[in-house]
Amino acid sequence: MVFLTPLFLFGLLAALIPIAIHLIRKEKPPKVMFSTIRFLKKTSKKLILFQHIQQWLLLLLRSAVIALLVFAFARPLFDQTVARLLDADPMSAVIMLDVSMSMRYEDNFDRAKQEALDILDGMTSGDEVAVIGFSNAAVVVRELNTDIDSARSLINSLDEPGYGTTRYMPNIRLADQLLETSRYENRAIYLISDFQDVGMSDAEEGWKLAPGTAFTGIDVAAEESSNLALTDVRSPEQLLEDAAEQQILARVRSTGTLYLDQGDVSLYVDGGLIESVPVDLIDRSEQVVTFTTSFDAQGTHYGEVRVTGDNFIVDNSYYFTVDVLPKIRVLLVNGEASDDWFDDEGHWFGLAVSSAAQSPFLLETIEPGELSAAVLRQNDVAVLLNVGDLSAGQAGAIESYVQNGGSLLLAPGDKVTPEVFNRQFADIVPAIIQSRGQLGLDDYLVIADFDRRHPILSPLSSDWSARFQNHWSLLPNESADVLMQFDNTEPALLERSVGEGNVILFASSLDLEWNNLALQGLFLPFVHETLRYLVQQNPKQRAYQVGDSLNLDPSGTAEIIEATDAVGNSIQFANGNFVTTAATPGMINARVDGNPVNFAVNGIPEESNFNRTPVANLYDQIINPDTEPNQSREVRTAQLIEELERPQRVWWWILCLTTALILTEALVANRTYR
Amino acid sequence: MSESLNFLDPTVLAGLDNLELRARVVVEGFLSGLHKSPHKGFSVEFNDYRHYSRGDDMRHIDWKLYARSEKFYIKQYEDETNVRCMVVLDTSASMSYSSGSASKLDYGITLASALAYFINRQRDAVGLITFDEKVNEYLPAKCRQPHLMRILRTLAQIKPGKKTDAVKPLTDLAASLNKKSIVMLITDMLDDEARIIKTLQTLRGMGNDVIVFHVMDDAELNFNFNEASEFVDMESDETFITTPAAVRKAYLENLNEFLSFCKKQCQSSGVDYCLLNTSEPLDEALSSYMSKRAKSF
Repeated sequence: MVFLTPLFLFGLLAALIPIAIHLIRKEKPPKVMFSTIRFLKKTSKKLILFQHIQQWLLLLLRSAVIALLVFAFARPLFDQTVARLLDADPMSAVIMLDVSMSMRYEDNFDRAKQEALDILDGMTSGDEVAVIGFSNAAVVVRELNTDIDSARSLINSLDEPGYGTTRYMPNIRLADQLLETSRYENRAIYLISDFQDVGMSDAEEGWKLAPGTAFTGIDVAAEESSNLALTDVRSPEQLLEDAAEQQILARVRSTGTLYLDQGDVSLYVDGGLIESVPVDLIDRSEQVVTFTTSFDAQGTHYGEVRVTGDNFIVDNSYYFTVDVLPKIRVLLVNGEASDDWFDDEGHWFGLAVSSAAQSPFLLETIEPGELSAAVLRQNDVAVLLNVGDLSAGQAGAIESYVQNGGSLLLAPGDKVTPEVFNRQFADIVPAIIQSRGQLGLDDYLVIADFDRRHPILSPLSSDWSARFQNHWSLLPNESADVLMQFDNTEPALLERSVGEGNVILFASSLDLEWNNLALQGLFLPFVHETLRYLVQQNPKQRAYQVGDSLNLDPSGTAEIIEATDAVGNSIQFANGNFVTTAATPGMINARVDGNPVNFAVNGIPEESNFNRTPVANLYDQIINPDTEPNQSREVRTAQLIEELERPQRVWWWILCLTTALILTEALVANRTYR
Repeated sequence: MSESLNFLDPTVLAGLDNLELRARVVVEGFLSGLHKSPHKGFSVEFNDYRHYSRGDDMRHIDWKLYARSEKFYIKQYEDETNVRCMVVLDTSASMSYSSGSASKLDYGITLASALAYFINRQRDAVGLITFDEKVNEYLPAKCRQPHLMRILRTLAQIKPGKKTDAVKPLTDLAASLNKKSIVMLITDMLDDEARIIKTLQTLRGMGNDVIVFHVMDDAELNFNFNEASEFVDMESDETFITTPAAVRKAYLENLNEFLSFCKKQCQSSGVDYCLLNTSEPLDEALSSYMSKRAKSF
């Protein structure tokens, strides 16, 4: 049996009033001295018993009248009918539980779990439920199932939220997709979150939930929040030996509804405190703190910027690494050295390599005749500019150098004859030279297309405006990758892996007679990126955010990698694939074939922003216009029950019975002597 | 007459501490209310003559003697000294019950004193027996004035006893009576009424006139209680908790059965039975006695 207004059932206590009065007034009757009780004792025992029965009946009637009145006001319904009705309208629901980092604030997550369990408690047998634990992506997914207990166990097993950021839309779409396979038309999504504003950042205009899918947002965020967060830290990723002192910038901001204006920011490098600076946010919303330090020793240094002054410590640290690298040794073989520096392609190349104050390169320039295997072995990369008259031995030394891991950059010019070039370098170059293309004064080629994902060219995505009046028509071989093309579709830049080394062939000279590339702004970065790429000295990514996929062996050459995550747990790798997901802020310490490597993992700063969005905003954005107004299960049940109540009118029958009992009570009371 | 009758009201009498005065008030009040009776001053046995004096009733002049002596002589008749009356008063605990100002015992004492006074006034001998479960006082029947005073003093000093046993006093009385007597039993009969009546029948069978003044309180007769109470038997101390209204009907039925039994048994054996309600005047009791006295002599 169910009751529409169950609070009235507290009135059942009033049914105890007659009994209480009976007990309270059950005092001993006054003594009356009487001449004899012989005539009283002769009265029928049945009469006495009947009188007692009448009194108890009266008591019972009065209690029953009160109890029935209470029942009538509570508006009872026979539960079988309700259960049948509810069973006839089962539900398919998806419970979305926010497990992003912000849910770690105070007891937000405990409240969210309780809300989820309450939803499960309100479900009836036959309902099917799915559970999604989400941050920027679904962390935990249990598909639709009628086993509500297992869903309850799943939610209970979630000990704590993760460190990811909040993204509503992809996860709501996932929930909507789960409901596509639901067995019932009555579909609902329950989103339990702190409703951070950042979660709406990827909102998709126009997308709506499927028609008929109800949406309920349950906000479990604390009413008031306070937080000091490191919203940004800038530190160098790579440094060269003997680099000057470096500045590390930390941006501190008070997020949350309560403003925190005092704190301290500290810099730790390799575990040692470098400097601690107080933060004063009284008259500003954020403050940038600058630390100055130097990284002398070659190798990887790890650092941490830490802010104190609040209780939400999850976002109080920012981790970074600094790699101090040795300089790249570059061997320049200038095939057409000129006294006029303007016409000397070696001059332009050398200018690009060595002009920076902190150049990462050590440049050695030689004549073609000086080239030997010994010279080659002392350098990381060899650059042949317009070199056309090498001996067979020199050519063999170059080939051997490349096969053994050396890198080679070729920019042939007018000193090069295709026949010789093709004969000497056919086994290592990505293309053979077919002919020289020479255009008129008013005609030129431009770079029309290039591989924007290639490490050399991805940083150089702006337009190439260099004009090429002379170029080599090249015929790429099967091992070549064309990285850049002229607007006549001929290759301009090609790459080939040979043995353990790389060879890059430029289809033009760096001579200004051939093109004006050396005068372009992109020339210097192009040279730098090409040289870096050739010696595989690309900055290795050491800094990640939570949720990023982290490859501890990007080269694919490591055999043994041992790694522990930020909390010291050993990271397990499967199938020799040394890839893991950055899950916890901190330092991942790895040993790659015995060599120590550190990776910094940081939380997503925007997750520290506790600005909230109204649930209604999300509701309005995703709810389908064809969906009926949102109703909770309780409201819907109450409506169904009220619909049932009209034909039943149990309360009416109870009142009739009560009236009859009142009349009976009056009748019995009239006949009962007190 | 009504003014005179007020003096027979038990409540009025209860205010009189002097029992003699109370008895006198009762008797004189009762007599003044009577119509003149042809038997008034009547005496059945001549005793002596005396000279006529002024005020004497002319009817009592012996005219034959006047014819012989020409002097007026008044006939003097022998007093009722040959009539013995024994007033037997029940003083048990149940007699002390009262629902008003006067208990049954007070009523009985007043009645006994009034009867004694009245009997003594008639020049009859009157005695007194008081009893509860035993005989407490026994005063033989005498007609002298001081004896009346003794009876009245004895009555004034009566205290209620405990249980009732009327049979033994009556049996002892029957054994002691050697002359026809009038036995007036004042009791509430709340004992073994069958044995009491049987004893009375024995007395009656010995030639005595027996009058039973059955004294009952108005509450006993009507059981007009309202609240649920624990009724305590004044003699046995037994208790009975009940709602009066619930048992009133059954009570009255049982009571009437009892009264009917007493009345019927008394009448069937020649015992005069007079039920007295303590809330009613005493004249009925006295009338009853007068009636018996007239019939007997």
